[in-house]
Amino acid sequence: MLLENRYYRIIDRKAEGQDTVFRVALLPDCDIYQGHFPGNPVCPGVCNIETVKECVEILTGKRLFIGFIRQCRLTAVASPDICPWVNVRINCTPAEEGFAVTAKMSDDERVYMEYKGVMKVL
Amino acid sequence: MTGIGEDITALIPQRAPIIMVDRLESVEGDKAVTSFMVRPDNYFVGAEGQSLAEAGVIEHIAQSASAFSGYRARMAGAADAPVGYIGEVKNFHCFRCPRVNEVLHTTITMGAELEGITIIKGETSVDGEIIADVQMKIFVKPQ
Repeated sequence: MLLENRYYRIIDRKAEGQDTVFRVALLPDCDIYQGHFPGNPVCPGVCNIETVKECVEILTGKRLFIGFIRQCRLTAVASPDICPWVNVRINCTPAEEGFAVTAKMSDDERVYMEYKGVMKVL
Repeated sequence: MTGIGEDITALIPQRAPIIMVDRLESVEGDKAVTSFMVRPDNYFVGAEGQSLAEAGVIEHIAQSASAFSGYRARMAGAADAPVGYIGEVKNFHCFRCPRVNEVLHTTITMGAELEGITIIKGETSVDGEIIADVQMKIFVKPQ
């Protein structure tokens, strides 16, 4: 895993109907914030995309490749100050060569990311 | 021409360890071309040290657009590169992950700006082979 225990840490995981919800802590000491941006720590949207991929890898037990993202909306600025933890809700169904994945990253206040795409099994 | 081939930190607000573009190679009208070599110590290269993760490809394309915006801002007299955020990633295709030591060339096509949001298209190739393409909405923070 590229970002687990470096950018985020999983603190809880539970099934809710067809979905699985990972609660993850966003680690404020992650070195990515030295550069994104100096004096203004903001979660890179792509790190949240990678976090979704890693949660799906944990869920499925497969190594995956993001072949296609239909749409990923980054609807609010996230940072460890704004949201020390977030819920990553994953819905994942088998599809050709891999999984169709819908995901949402949110906390009690707001939605940070909505994601729809296809991940292929490596 | 100012900005072309210049130190990239003059054109983008990102700093180490998340600089994902090396050079702005050319600008012509609404198109720009950037280059980036995948180094083994890149943030988005995994522990196996073989290839750049898809998220790294997306960030490279976003920073290529950022360098293009930075170039335009400098031409307009701005001192600092504007800070932009990805608002949306749409129809991203990744055909393969680039390997360490490969050089990416990305063509950015900049669309119209509306209320601080710009739609861009990016296409990334390695030695003429297209490895990824995407549309993005980039939100630029007002200075």
